[in-house]
This record gives sequence, C-alpha cells and structure tokens, in this order.
Amino acid sequence: MATITSVIPRPTSYAGIWGWMTTVDHKRIAVLYGVTAFIFMLIAGIEAGVIRMQLASADNDLIAPGAYNQMFTMHATTMVFMVIMPLSVSFFNFVIPLAIGARDVAFPRLNALSFWIFLFGGILMHVSFVVGQVPDAGWFSYANLSEKPFSADRGLDYWAISLLVMGTSSVAGGLNFVVTIINLRAPGMSLMRMPVFVWMTLITSLLLILAFPVITVGLIELVMDRNFGTHFFVPSGGGDPVLWQHLFWVFGHPEVYILILPPMGVVSEVLPTFSRKPLFGYPFVIFSGIVIGIMGWAVWSHHMFTVGLGPVANSVFTITTMLIAVPTGVKIFNWIGTLWKGSIEFTTAMMFALGFVALFIVGGLSGVSHAVSPSDFQQQDTYYIVAHIHYVLFGGSIFGIFAGTYYWWPKITGKMLNETLGRLHFWLLFIGMNLTFFPMHFLGMNGMPRRIYTYSAEFGWEYMNQLASLGYVVLFIAFLVFIHNVFYSRNSRRVSHDPWDAPGVEWSIASPPPPYNFAEVPQILGRDHYWIVKENAEAAGTPITEPEPLVDPNSIHMPSPSYWPIFTAVGVALIGGGLLSHYALSFVGGAIAMLGAIAWSNEPTTAPSDHH
Amino acid sequence: MQSSSNSNRSTGRRSSLKNRTVLFGLAAALFLFAVGCSKDGQSTWEAFGPVAQKQLDLFNVLLWVMVATFILVEGVLLYAIVRYRRRPGDPKPPQIHGNTSLEIALTIIPTILVLALGIWSVFTLFELQDPPEGGPEPLQVTVTGHQWWFEFEYPDAGGGKKIITANEMRIPVDRPIEIALESDDVIHSFWVPKLAGKLDMVPTHVNRMWFQADSDKLNEDLPVTLYGQCAELCGLAHALMRFRVTVMDQDDFDSWVAAYGAPPTISDKAKKGQQLFAANCTLCHTIDGPDDPALSASRLTGFLTGGDITPVPAPNLTDLRTRQTLASGITDLNETSLHEWIRNPEDIKPGNYMSERAVMYQNGPASLTDEEIDSLIGYLLDLR
Amino acid sequence: MAHAVEHEYTTTGLNHRKMLMWVFLGSDCLFFGSLIATYMVYRGQSLVGPYPIDIIDIPLTTVSTFVLLMSSFAMVQALSATQADNKRGIVNWLLFTAFLGAIFIGFQIYEFNAFKNEGLTLGGNLFGATFFTLTGFHGAHVTLGIIWLVAMAILGAKGRLGPDTALDVELLGLYWHFVDIVWIVIFTLLYLIGGFDAGPSVMPGG
Repeated sequence: MATITSVIPRPTSYAGIWGWMTTVDHKRIAVLYGVTAFIFMLIAGIEAGVIRMQLASADNDLIAPGAYNQMFTMHATTMVFMVIMPLSVSFFNFVIPLAIGARDVAFPRLNALSFWIFLFGGILMHVSFVVGQVPDAGWFSYANLSEKPFSADRGLDYWAISLLVMGTSSVAGGLNFVVTIINLRAPGMSLMRMPVFVWMTLITSLLLILAFPVITVGLIELVMDRNFGTHFFVPSGGGDPVLWQHLFWVFGHPEVYILILPPMGVVSEVLPTFSRKPLFGYPFVIFSGIVIGIMGWAVWSHHMFTVGLGPVANSVFTITTMLIAVPTGVKIFNWIGTLWKGSIEFTTAMMFALGFVALFIVGGLSGVSHAVSPSDFQQQDTYYIVAHIHYVLFGGSIFGIFAGTYYWWPKITGKMLNETLGRLHFWLLFIGMNLTFFPMHFLGMNGMPRRIYTYSAEFGWEYMNQLASLGYVVLFIAFLVFIHNVFYSRNSRRVSHDPWDAPGVEWSIASPPPPYNFAEVPQILGRDHYWIVKENAEAAGTPITEPEPLVDPNSIHMPSPSYWPIFTAVGVALIGGGLLSHYALSFVGGAIAMLGAIAWSNEPTTAPSDHH
Repeated sequence: MQSSSNSNRSTGRRSSLKNRTVLFGLAAALFLFAVGCSKDGQSTWEAFGPVAQKQLDLFNVLLWVMVATFILVEGVLLYAIVRYRRRPGDPKPPQIHGNTSLEIALTIIPTILVLALGIWSVFTLFELQDPPEGGPEPLQVTVTGHQWWFEFEYPDAGGGKKIITANEMRIPVDRPIEIALESDDVIHSFWVPKLAGKLDMVPTHVNRMWFQADSDKLNEDLPVTLYGQCAELCGLAHALMRFRVTVMDQDDFDSWVAAYGAPPTISDKAKKGQQLFAANCTLCHTIDGPDDPALSASRLTGFLTGGDITPVPAPNLTDLRTRQTLASGITDLNETSLHEWIRNPEDIKPGNYMSERAVMYQNGPASLTDEEIDSLIGYLLDLR
Repeated sequence: MAHAVEHEYTTTGLNHRKMLMWVFLGSDCLFFGSLIATYMVYRGQSLVGPYPIDIIDIPLTTVSTFVLLMSSFAMVQALSATQADNKRGIVNWLLFTAFLGAIFIGFQIYEFNAFKNEGLTLGGNLFGATFFTLTGFHGAHVTLGIIWLVAMAILGAKGRLGPDTALDVELLGLYWHFVDIVWIVIFTLLYLIGGFDAGPSVMPGG
C-alpha cells in the first residue's frame, strides 16, 4: 500500500483545497466542523420557520400534514446530531490540545476521519430530501410507527442509516478525546488542574463512547426489521415497541448530557475570565459534572412515564431524576459564586454566558416538574416539553456555544468579532428565544399536544402560537446579524494574543496559533496557569506583553497530512449509501474502507519526506 | 470596595436601561401568566375529577416551588451582575476559590427539597393507581387506538349489555371508570386533560388507568362534554385524532345503553341509503350493534397486510345519530358536515384510510350523487 | 503500524494506542451488551418455534468454544514470540491463531446453515432474530480479527515484527481476547442457560 503514495504522493502542505481535504491539524478540523455545523443549523432553522409559520394560525393549510411531520423530524434530528454535537466537537478540536499544552490530539488522522464521516453522513441524511423520501416519525422515531407498513417509504431507512454512519464518527471522536485528555496533558497538569472545559469534554467523550453503541444496536434492529424481515419491534411477530424506547432512551438521556456538558464547560471558562476571579468551587463543579455523567444513566425512563411501565418503575425514575437536579444546581450556584464579588466585564462572550445561566435555570426548573411523574402525565407530549427542550438546548447549549464562539474567535482568527454587532446579536437572540419558547409552557398546560400540524381555534391557543411565531422572526434576524458580524469582522484589525487577559494556557501563544501550537511544551504551574504566569512575571517586574515566540515550523515533529482519512470516510459513507440504494455499493464501500484502514496503518504518522 | 452610592455614576445610563429591561421582562412574564393560563377545552388548569385534581394539586405546589426558586436564583444572579459590574479603575477582585460549607449546604438543602417532592409524588403515584375502596362499582371500558380514531368497548354497560362505539365516550357521573388501553396498529395516547393525565396505548400491551367525573367539580348541568386528544405521534392524521367524553347522569346513561342497537325506523327516503350503506360501507363499518370479533380480526388483517380496497377497522356507527362530532372529534356532526365528509373525506382529514381504501373513493371524491349522499345521511342519522 | 515504538511523551506513561484499544473495547462492551439485552428481553417471547431446545446443540458448540479458547492461547504465544524476537514463532503462532479462528467461523457457518435447515430464520421468530443478530455480529468481529491476524502474519514474515513492535501484536491480542470473552458470555447465556428454553406449550419437565 505504501506504493500508492508513489502514485498519489502523500500531501505535505496546507495549501489549497487539497490541503483542507487532507488536513490532520486539529485547528483546521475545528473550522471544518464549525462551518459545516453552522450550515446545518441554517437548514434546521428554516425547517423551524416552516413549522412556526404553519402554527401561526389555527386550521392553517400552509403545509400538508406529511410535509409537516418531515419538518419537525428533520429539524430536531439535524439540530441534535448535525448542529449541537458537531459545534461542541468543533470546540473540542480547537481548544482541547491548546488547553492541555499539547501539539495535537492523540490520533490526528482518526480526528480527520471523524469529520469526514460526519460530513458524509449529514449529506446522506439530506439526500432524503433529494429523493423525496424524508424521515417523518419524529426525531426519536418510536416503533412501531417507524416500521413498515406505517412508514412505508425509505425515509426511516435514511434516518437510521445516516445516524449509524454519523454514530461511528462520534464514537471515534470520543475515543480520540479520551486518550488525548488522559494522555497528552503537559507536565504539571494533573487532573485537578485541568480547565473545566477539558473536564467536561472528558466526561462527554466517555458518555459518547458508551451511549452510542446502544442506539447503534437499536438502529441496526430497526433497519433489520424494515429490510430483513425481523420483528424486533414489530408486534405481529412478537416484538415489543417499548424495547425501542428503552434502547433509544438509554442512549438518549446520556445524549442530552453530551449536548449540555460542553457548553457548561465553555461557560465555566468564560465567567471567570470576565469576572477576573477563578471559578468558584472548582472541585465541586468538576465533581458535579462527574456525578451527572454517572447518574445520567439512571434516569432514562423519565422519557417513558406515560408508556405504562407501572408505578414501581415510575417511582424509581422519579426519584433518580429529581436527584440529578442537585448536581446541576451545584453548578449554577458555583457560577453565581464566580460572579460574586468579581469585577464583571460585559463582553459579548460574557453576555452569552450569563444568558446561558439565566435561561438554563428556567429549563432546569421545568425539567424538575417533568421529573414528578404524576404531573408529567399531563405534561408529556405537550408543548410544555417543547418549551423545556428549547430552554435547555437553545437557551443552554446554543447560548453556551455562542459564548465560546465570541470568546475563542480571537484565538482562532487573530481578530475579534465586532462587539456592538455581538451585543445586538445577543439581545435579539435572548428576546427572540423567550418570545418563542416561554409561551409554549402555557400552550402545553392549556392542552396543546406536540407534533400536530394544526389545531382548532376553539382552544384559544392561537394567541400564544402567534407570539411564538413572532419570536421566530426575531431569532431569524439575530442569526442574520451574526452572519453579518462574521463577514464584517474579517477585515477588522488584529488583536493581541491575549485580548481578554484570560487564565488558560491557550492564550499564551500567538493568534492564530502556529501549526505546532507550543514551541516548547509548557510546564503547568496550577489551575488558571496563564494567570499565574502573568502574575509571576508582573511581580518579577517583566510583565508579559508578547505571546510565546514563533519558531521555524520545520524544526518541530508534527503529524503529516494524509488522504487516507477522507478516503476511508468515503468507504464508510458508501456502505451506508449502498444500503439505501444498491447493496453492491455497500460491498464496494466496505472494500474501500478496509483498503483505507490498511493503508493508513501502514503509513507512518509523519512522512519520512517531512523533516524529522 | 466602592460604596454603593457611587453605583449610578458613569454607568448610570446602562444600569437604568438594565433595570428597565428587567422590569419589562417581569411585567411580560406576569402578563403571560395572567393571560396564558386558560381553562378552556383541553386545559389542565381545571380538574373535573379526583385523578386530575391530585395531579393538578401536585403541579401547583411544584409551580410555586419553581417560581420561588426562579425568583430567588435569578434574583441573586441579577443582583450579582448589577452589583459587581466592572467600573473603570476597579482593582483586581479578591481571588476567592470557594467555600466548602456553603457548597455542602447548597448540596444538602436542594437534595432534601427534591427528595421531599419526589417522595410525595411517589405516594401520589401509588394513590392514583386504583379507585378508592368502598365507592360505587366501577364501569369497565376498553379503549382501542386506531389510526386515527378511538374505539370504546363497554363489555358490560349495564345489565350485561355489550356496547362498541367510537370517538365519543359516554360515562356516568360520580362513578369510577376503569379503562383498559390497547392499540391495533401503532402507539397512541389517551388523554382527557380535565379528568386525568395521559397513558399510552401500545400494541401488545394493556395499560390500565381510571378516572371519574365528579358532579361537584363540574359547574354546569349534565350532560357535559369534555375534550380528549391523542397525545403520541401516530402518523399523518395524528393532529386530527381527537375525541369527546360526555358525562351524564346514571339514568341518562342507562337510557343510552338501552337504546343502543335498537333496530332503526327507516323512512322511505332512507331506504335507498340503507342499500347504499350495505353495498359500500359494511366492509369496514358495523352499524347493527357491537362488532363481531371475527369480523374485526379480518378487518385488522386486511389493514395490516393489504393495499387498496381491503377492509380496515373503522368506527362503529351504530349510535352515530346520538353523537355530536364527526371524524374523531374534529368537527360538529350535522347534515352539512356529514355530507362534506362523505363527499370527500380527504378534504377534512388528509391521510384518512376511508379515502385510501374504499372502492367508492377510487377516483378521488365519492362516486355518488348528491341525492344518494342525502339518502345515506338520512339512514345514518336515523340510527339510534 | 510496525514502526519503532514511539518514544513520545504520555501523561500516564501508557502508550496512546494501547489506551485507545482499551477504551474502544469498553465501548464495544456496550454494543454487545445491548444485543445481549435484546436477547434476554425476548427469551421465551417467540410466538412460534423452533425454540432453543429444538435447535441448540451444546456438544457441538462446546467444541467450537474450545477451539476459540485455544486460539486465545495461541495468541498469547504469538505475543510471547514477538517479545522474544522469535521470527518463525511469531508468524506460526499468528497464523495458527487465525487458523483456529477460521475453524470457529467454520463451525458457525455450519451451525447457522443447520439451524436454517431446521427452520430457524431471522424473520421466523424472535429467537431467530436475536440469535442470528448477536452471534452474527460476534462472528463479524472474529472475521475482522482473522483478517488482522493474517495481515500481521505477513508483516511478521517480512521481518517487521519484533520486541520493538510488540505493541502492535499486543493490541491485536487485546482485541482477540475480548472477542473470545464475549463469546464465553454468549455461550453461557444462549447455550448453557438459554439453550433449554422451550416454547409456551411445553410443560416444565417434559
């Protein structure tokens, strides 16, 4: 296989499209993830717009019921798997190696593979639109609606197979970051000196690798039911539709912690920076993250309170779910404690972090009312749940991700996003979010079920729905402001390596960082390492004004670019695509993937032609 | 640390803008609370029976706990944001790392609170499992979910009489109704918010619940009609899978039971309708009493395996004349609406199986003249 | 693969790839765990036969289980030979492991075919669905392992395996032993315990 590199030479440079296609640099992979996920966010946002326009008035006929079901299914599936997760992974990619004083992740090519498989899997999911067979059974596709004959076209096959493809990307990424965080920390960075974002990434990565196999099995069983005649979830063959729910939610609940822990980590970095004091109660924040990661496995059936599991099961899950509110509360108290007696600067990043805390409190509280199963019997499957979901995922995850975007933007690009536009973005998003989703609490308690394409005027739901649809317009404008900010800021002036006077070691190097990150692997002096370094330098009379000096990149041993990750990813995607079209294609894809894997393992991490 | 009298100096404008924003936000929230909690139709804010009442009582306590926690925690957050904002020239703040006793207190207190609420809710859960001992004899009803309508079977509605009806569930007041929930196709959910929380109808499972309508809670004269809706995505017409529960006194209920299935008096005009019905509709619809189990089974098989022109389980029409709504609770039942429905069900309920499977609809709207439809309606609405 | 042991810095002192393999195997536990859970949930739930007691042949599968166990022993020998820089030993033991693995797969194929002829199919009942899916995915893992073993044996024949590259063999060994342990669990649950499950019409003891 090494002979292939004499036909197609191993890439060595960063230049051009080929440079991006073969990159193994975590910083570039971060950008790839971020841009791709943002595009998916726009698509899912349009889907949300269609939903809100349809629901803006009673008995509306803007869109047919079948198309409506496709809209909410794709909106949620895209947002969960193709927006929030990859945006978090984008931050893992950019920040983690820098934050732990490493030069890259443990497995750079595996990292690239994760991205390409994600991209191809996301495209595969959207090919369903092109062929007009779009998933329409909701983002958790309950059996047996998801089975034939009730979902007769290929929509659910696209859903299941695309998720299977993307799942491999997530597991590979999780594995990579677990090894990176445990094994690539710079000397002096003990576990209890790691930044909170790094800790949250570690816990999330462990959740990823343990939770995804469960849904993988569920999806495999669904695909087998639909295509190979089994009856795992088909009642007529003895199958139990509730088994799907168990498999899905044993994955699904850790999944929501996968969605929220990284943004919580971001907020835990931003709040101390702009309060100019360390995170309050660091060990408690870490410990509560660990407890949430573990207890998150013990609460799944609170999604199934109305399925009829019986009072004993419902009681157990009520208690465990109530208990998991405690570590979440601990984090919130510690964030407030960080602000307390601090010196708060309202940069856009800080405003998003504060917005996260404020909105997550609402989402967390409505979650507590869901935990109480007798009251959940009224709330389940209504807009009250939709309100809860969006407060925690939009007000929570998305706000946290924007906080991280504004915060690390100067490190990634060397320039800042415009603060005035940023503030406008924040306020529009904050107001729009509340306008859209707060009324939904009332809609749910007033009896409006979720996933209905229309409703009758007689229930008095129209007014709240109009408010919510108006809120969407505000959100739409907010996103336009953000996009404008990104383009507008491309020509802004360069900023220093450390514009925020921040505590993390990533701020000690140039912006954007050189390919090798650190010329010299740092010796970590404590938590908030860079603050310590800066204080020591001040005290010694030689304050730090410059980043770590750059050195000749050729003098540092870095992993070389490679085309095997994208090649292998094509194979994996073809396996999936073949299952959806011609099985022969799957065999071709399998062969390509296997060829790629073998060639990859024969290829050294650094090409011999590369210096050192 | 600067004294608070300086707090409105150069940042006065910003802080008053923030104060105004906060006040506006609070006012908006209060307004929403005032306007948002309606008691109409399917609202959960009003309970007409003990099950919904207990669930609402629990929620009301939770609501106050949530509101209090919200005000407390958001209040502290807002206070911190305002009080500790940076003013020019501020020194570096004290680098506090934490406070272990505070942490322990803030872990233990919420734990006690959530456990208390959790344990109370567990007690409520078990209390609500069965109707109270020593009360009136419960009435058994089996509710079967179908795409996209509700079937109600009373194994013994009174005096051993079996009744099967659809989309409108009649119950006597002040008597527990023990409900067995089943489904013949996909997962549906049975929800009458004013009587109880929902419970799913899962194929291969029988889920049991009970509720009761209390005369002292209903503040209207009987009969009172309550709203219900399917609350689990079940396909194309999920949004239009609704039903009604009519609460009557025991006597009126008994009269309805007695009249059920009585042979109709058919006017001359309706005779043609009777023939049309027999020719076009009896493959799926039963009109002369409870469905025959073997016939039901064959309709189900046809539905699950078949294509066009195969039987499907369809609402029992025996007592159609006594119903108030049509097509599973989505529109009032009268001659006009029934005419429109028969003319083209797809217009009213997109995705319905009648349009998809019945011969009459092979070419879109019904292959019947208006007169024929009128006579069909005459027959249907003469039925008791 | 097969270049000199990386003397790269690691925080724990453990090699990256070894850690990766362990974490991956942890993840794979959840995968097999979910398939096993599906089997357990559906034990006794098949609407029609054939039932395990009609199909499962414990003596036959005991032989294939033994073969797989012996392959793990061969794998240990292969690693030992690598560490001792015994070039012929490396190749022979790796090939022998692959050979025993292939025998196991041969037994599986025979068994699947025999069961199919006795009426057990994926779509026929829940026992068929859960049995074939679980053992099928296990067999796929074994097959991938065999391919890996052969590839390593080729590298060994080219002289590229030795004490410096023992990690590569050790990683393969970890994977192979994991697959073997999973089989022990499957054998215990589906054969030794579940193998006596009968259909609903059969009275206990008869």
